[in-house]
Amino acid sequence: MVTDERLLEAARGGDEAAFTALFRRRQGAVYRFALHMSGEAAVSEDVTQEVFLTLLEGGGRFDPSRGTLLSFLYGIARNLVLRRLEKKRPEDTDARAEELAADEDILDDLTRRETIDAVRCAVLSLPMAYREAVVLCDLENASYEDAAAALACPVGTVRSRLSRGRAMLGQKLAAKPVRSLS
Amino acid sequence: MNEDRVLQALKALADNDRESEASAKVEERVLRGFHRHRARIRWHWAGVAALAAGVAIVAVLWTNGPRKVAVDSASPVIPQARKLARPSAAPVAALPRHAALESSPVRRPETREVVTDFFPLMNPAPPFERGQILRVQLPAAAMQTVGLPVREDHLADPIEADVVVGEEGMPRAIRFVRFDVQ
Repeated sequence: MVTDERLLEAARGGDEAAFTALFRRRQGAVYRFALHMSGEAAVSEDVTQEVFLTLLEGGGRFDPSRGTLLSFLYGIARNLVLRRLEKKRPEDTDARAEELAADEDILDDLTRRETIDAVRCAVLSLPMAYREAVVLCDLENASYEDAAAALACPVGTVRSRLSRGRAMLGQKLAAKPVRSLS
Repeated sequence: MNEDRVLQALKALADNDRESEASAKVEERVLRGFHRHRARIRWHWAGVAALAAGVAIVAVLWTNGPRKVAVDSASPVIPQARKLARPSAAPVAALPRHAALESSPVRRPETREVVTDFFPLMNPAPPFERGQILRVQLPAAAMQTVGLPVREDHLADPIEADVVVGEEGMPRAIRFVRFDVQ
């Protein structure tokens, strides 16, 4: 399989097939990252589009020695998501999480769909630093190294944020025991 | 809730969203962006080639005995290499000179030259004592090679430029000319 780096090189040289292949290979991961970070499909679509357009213009800044191309894409997406979230009121996601946590009995009637939505809301209510680590490592299965490259922080920081983020999630979901979802 | 249950919940969310991706519209928009990017690249290199060709012609003309143009050795002032000066007027767009002149069959309107600062073509440049200015015609894309903005729909338009040639025959600097109809 042609590597991402080769595809990027060819795409920057004007190879449309290479660019299309790279887009189709990686757009899902970028979209899901933006979706789990923002909770909004429209924002995720805009971010995905901007990430790849930015890659065309600024792909020359990609340095393979600092991480994979996917982590570079996550890094661009992260900046775009943060910019958009800064414009929103911070209580938006917290309010949704609190709303769910308010009714302690609701989980008895949760369907699988509702449980997943509850987890989604709990993730969205995490503070940004912990949310990033959880989304990248636990939802997108990024390696610690890739996550560190995307978040521009040491691997140890990713580990500690991930641990803390999971603990916070555990507290948020404690009142709502998650059904067996395996 | 312990960490295993949290991870189980997160895995359920990840599995649920595994197929999520950006819509086909995003791919269409990104590919349109790619086509624009590729066109810009092509015009950029066309500009570089045209500029190089123009400079080469100037050098040949000079070494074969150019028509003398009065040049004050103290002028033009060539900015230091890498310190690209801002144009002295609005960005030079495609030049309507010929069209403007032809638009009045009875009486040609007066035109006024507006020029940019000189942009160095040599880095580092040897000391400049004497030289000549030669006027050449280039595609507008040549302006992009020195960092000046050009609208995409004007990249192919012919523009005029003054090339400073040192007494050793080497092109030292270039400035671009716009003709404003008065």
